[in-house]
Amino acid sequence: MKEPKVKHQEIRIPQVARVEGHGNILVEIQKDKVKNVKLNIPEGPRLFETLVIGKTPAEATSIVPRICAICSVSHRYAAIRAFERALGYKVTKETHLLRTLMHYGEMIESHALHAFVLALPDFLNYPSAIAMTDRFAPQVLKALKLKKFGNHIMEITTARYTHGENPTVGGFGKTPTVSELMEIKSEAEKLVPDAEELIELMRTLEYPTAMEDGMVFMCLKPPTDKYGFVGDKVLISTGEEAPIERYLELTNERIVDHSTAKRCRYKERPYVVGAIARINLLGERLRGKAGDAFRRCYSLSWIRNPLYNNLAQAIEILFVLEDIPEIIDELVTHKETLSIKTKIQKPPTLTGKNVGAVEAPRGTLYHYYEITRGLVTGANLVIPTTQNLDAIENHLRIAATNLLNTLQSRPIGKLSAEERIEIERILEMVVRAYDPCISCSVHLVDLSCS
Amino acid sequence: MSKLKVAFYNLSGCSGCLLSIINCEDSLLDIFNAANVVSFLMAQSNNREEEQDLAFLDGSVTTDEQEEFLLHLRPRTKKVVALGTCACYGGVQAMENAKGTFERRFEKVYGKTPFTIVKAFESKPVDAVIPVDYYIPGCPIDGDLFLYNYARLLKELPVDMPKTPVCRECKWQENECLLLKNQLCLGPVTAGGCKARCPSHNLPCIGCFGPADEANLTSEFNLLKEKGYNFAEIERKLRLFGGTKFINSFRELWKSPAAKNQKTQLRKG
Repeated sequence: MKEPKVKHQEIRIPQVARVEGHGNILVEIQKDKVKNVKLNIPEGPRLFETLVIGKTPAEATSIVPRICAICSVSHRYAAIRAFERALGYKVTKETHLLRTLMHYGEMIESHALHAFVLALPDFLNYPSAIAMTDRFAPQVLKALKLKKFGNHIMEITTARYTHGENPTVGGFGKTPTVSELMEIKSEAEKLVPDAEELIELMRTLEYPTAMEDGMVFMCLKPPTDKYGFVGDKVLISTGEEAPIERYLELTNERIVDHSTAKRCRYKERPYVVGAIARINLLGERLRGKAGDAFRRCYSLSWIRNPLYNNLAQAIEILFVLEDIPEIIDELVTHKETLSIKTKIQKPPTLTGKNVGAVEAPRGTLYHYYEITRGLVTGANLVIPTTQNLDAIENHLRIAATNLLNTLQSRPIGKLSAEERIEIERILEMVVRAYDPCISCSVHLVDLSCS
Repeated sequence: MSKLKVAFYNLSGCSGCLLSIINCEDSLLDIFNAANVVSFLMAQSNNREEEQDLAFLDGSVTTDEQEEFLLHLRPRTKKVVALGTCACYGGVQAMENAKGTFERRFEKVYGKTPFTIVKAFESKPVDAVIPVDYYIPGCPIDGDLFLYNYARLLKELPVDMPKTPVCRECKWQENECLLLKNQLCLGPVTAGGCKARCPSHNLPCIGCFGPADEANLTSEFNLLKEKGYNFAEIERKLRLFGGTKFINSFRELWKSPAAKNQKTQLRKG
């Protein structure tokens, strides 16, 4: 049989699987040294920032979730926060609590999907979660049950699993009933042991170390001393803190030619957002079983090894499950007035501009809008994956260098098929660990229409 | 009987339709077991590109690479199913189509930086590139409707989607009509299948399932005009998810004498 034509001076992974969207990895090698590592993003641009121009805030709020199905609630929520901050809304505590609940639904669904369905098969050497059912059927079914619960919360609070229209600028179209809320509360309590079991499974996995390097982390600072996913300030692991209004200088987006997604750096350095950033920056705030899990799992490797993002997501699922009963108890305190308190309010003004931010499952998401006489005249959105791309490439470079070094400088052309597959597996794991939302990262950024 | 070979692909979109399949948690194992899933990049890594019976396509076509992919896909695939409003009509990213603004909008986002990885163009539905056998719209698709049609397709039966608009499902929910409450609702012209979720939450239909087969666009247009909405507002709503299909029909209306009157009035106003 004829040898397949392989370019010996590169390693190429044509399509990273089990991630959202399309990306491919290219490692260029010169004189047996890694010269260049690229995470190419060939996604088709959809130009969302231009689509919202000339639309009402309500229309724009319907358009932007379509950027990404996996974090559609976060996109909607960030847009709502931006419009409300720009137009001077003050929403009630009940509206805020109901939004927290919908956001929790997305957090559970997205994390369960990523950690247990998309990433876990790597660690156990399976091509998919479906294939894992030969030996891990109970675990896969528990993961799917958690995922389904996340979806159920979103259906009840937002009207649909994906792109639900119920949460709007100023409030909710319809409030869930008390019995729907109580059912969510009791289901959350029931699922705690499943989440603990899955954390334990992830904790005891073997974590490859070839990609380790120190990371700078960034996440939103919750307004109280509780763990959480929303805030108007940004925490940075260098010890700095900044208001979200400074998002442009925190993210510094730029264009590179091998990617339709833009890139970010903080003070010239790649930085990391997402569950691993939040756990590193806010983990000490975790209480209850999630706090116990954090203390049991956390180690200094977490500041160097991006693969711990998967375990961080699992811990966040447990935090959310434990927090849901508290949120619901507070929501139903005055159940008679709940629907009035969450009703959509009218805009205090029709002109303004501001930024709103939430933690999407995969990291800090900024939406900025300018509104003039009721229509959007400018938009700028900065997406978590855009912020992580430089860090992903950095970790890919380190992993490729270390893995090739351990082969004692044998020319790459002489790599055996097994060695090649192993290198490719670890490189793919690095990308996947970040839970990249590739199509999400593509369409957004940098536009202020005059 | 051997299992059909099935593939799931994602073009330019939010992946919401493929996610809606993964969201069928109770049936997920059945979806994979009932067929031979040869390609599903988002869900598995052991994918193979070969002759297949069914290909589901999520997303619209926005790059030369995707066009090429489709042209290679069609000859090796027996039936092609457009999954979701992007694949069926172009999706939200097609809302500015036929305005000739793509180049300018592209430059707004990416500047003048030469951008070599792909050649991008105005978003178009799958059937603008290759023949499509079946359409399952929705933004995203409805999981139940997908399962029903997936089962039909695996039995080599045609897709069966609701032909009537959202209004019919809305009546079944016994909702008070939002148009009567003076809200700009697209229920009368939008394909059903969503179980009238938005109107059931006191929110007007935004048209995310795309145009209904039995939509009376003229009547909706005149009704909205009577309610005092101006042309720009109506057009904007219809463009949100209607892609080229709504826009073309709307153009015809725009040319009608009634519309011309309105245009003149607006200009005067």
